[in-house]
Amino acid sequence: MASLIVRKNADNLDAAELAALRTGYTKAQAIMDNRGYNYFAGLHGIPNWYCWHHDHTTGSTVNAKLFLPWHRAYLLSFERAIRDQSPAAPKVGLPWWDWSSATSHSTGVPTAFSVAKVGGKANPLFRGHIIAPTATPPINRQTRRFPGNPNQLPTAATVADLLNLSQFNDFSNQLENIHDFIHGWTGGNNGSIGGDMGSLGTAAWDPIFYSHHCMIDRLWYQWQLKHGANNIPAALLPLVLTPFNMKVQDVLSINALGYEYAVSFNTL
Amino acid sequence: MASRAKTPSRKASRAGKASAQTGTYRPSTVYKSPRTLPVTHLPAQYSRADLEFIGVDHSGASYEARVYVNNPKATADTQPTVSNGYAGSYYIFGHGGCFGDIGHCDIPQKQDVFDTRPSHPLEPIKKVVIATDAIKQAAATSKEIHVTVVPVIMSWTEKSDLTDVMKFDHINLVTYD
Repeated sequence: MASLIVRKNADNLDAAELAALRTGYTKAQAIMDNRGYNYFAGLHGIPNWYCWHHDHTTGSTVNAKLFLPWHRAYLLSFERAIRDQSPAAPKVGLPWWDWSSATSHSTGVPTAFSVAKVGGKANPLFRGHIIAPTATPPINRQTRRFPGNPNQLPTAATVADLLNLSQFNDFSNQLENIHDFIHGWTGGNNGSIGGDMGSLGTAAWDPIFYSHHCMIDRLWYQWQLKHGANNIPAALLPLVLTPFNMKVQDVLSINALGYEYAVSFNTL
Repeated sequence: MASRAKTPSRKASRAGKASAQTGTYRPSTVYKSPRTLPVTHLPAQYSRADLEFIGVDHSGASYEARVYVNNPKATADTQPTVSNGYAGSYYIFGHGGCFGDIGHCDIPQKQDVFDTRPSHPLEPIKKVVIATDAIKQAAATSKEIHVTVVPVIMSWTEKSDLTDVMKFDHINLVTYD
């Protein structure tokens, strides 16, 4: 029987899991074809702009609020690409950054993602390298990040209030608002320029992007547990999550997609 | 019920620098609703009041929009507290400016009903601030309701306009029982 991939809290990865994750990121970041980190980062913003935020209504009677389903499909594809480059064991899923935790309110971005070097080598979770030759102007540089004050991060009470919203559109709107804040907070600025997480075009090159979105996806999962996995407007179900080979109806069950979320996970 | 302010007008913020709370975040042009809503237009009972921001542009910098009810003097230095009329904030995760060729960020019209391509990523959006406490407080202490929105820029690119970062079409005040 196939086992589910467990996505763990980024602060709870053990040394072997963190090493495996870093191996996957390092190898993927070195690949320039459609198996690599640069390719997947480029699906979200520059140069392909497939990401789905807010409502899209032009030319349709459907209020297409695909922010949560689209990013679930995106994370799944990215996670598979990273796992293709990772050791077979330990089996590591994308970790989630609980920016509402007491730890985050002290340290901000998880330590695994905020140290520049590990063992004398560049930490692939600290930054990526943007290669976007078709952008105007072309971009070829390392990512930058200037996070704000950790005490500004959302609290557990804010998350609890969020999970009490009972309608999908209402929940999605308010969760996306928190998501937008985290992007601006994490990117931040140094007084003269902003960090990459703060701009949609470059955000997905910063490795913390995927763990931020794992937290968003996890909150949607928790909301589904509370209010129903199929609690979503029926009109959204057949919509295609371009460029992934999935529709909204295909991404409602994370277990059917092969993963789950856990605060910790240990084998005895 | 919904109240709609049709023509946004803008006045420059008097805040010359960001407050200590916002660190290096930058103020931008403040919005003050040109119309006021008599509180008699609100129902006697409601459990929730939302301020809906319609037609919000998100092509530029990422910013926080701090929403104040009945505090026309609010600036980036105003503490976001209930006593100051603070209702909540909406946040924009902006595109940062255009990194495509000329015309890339212009929103095209659908060619016809057979045009099934996804809509343009820069379509204006709606943001919702749940403002129940602030609206009820204002309704209890004033005869009219007006809204001031203070943008504070969090992150930007070399292509972002930092002077007038916040643009939207109008605000609705919607109550629910």
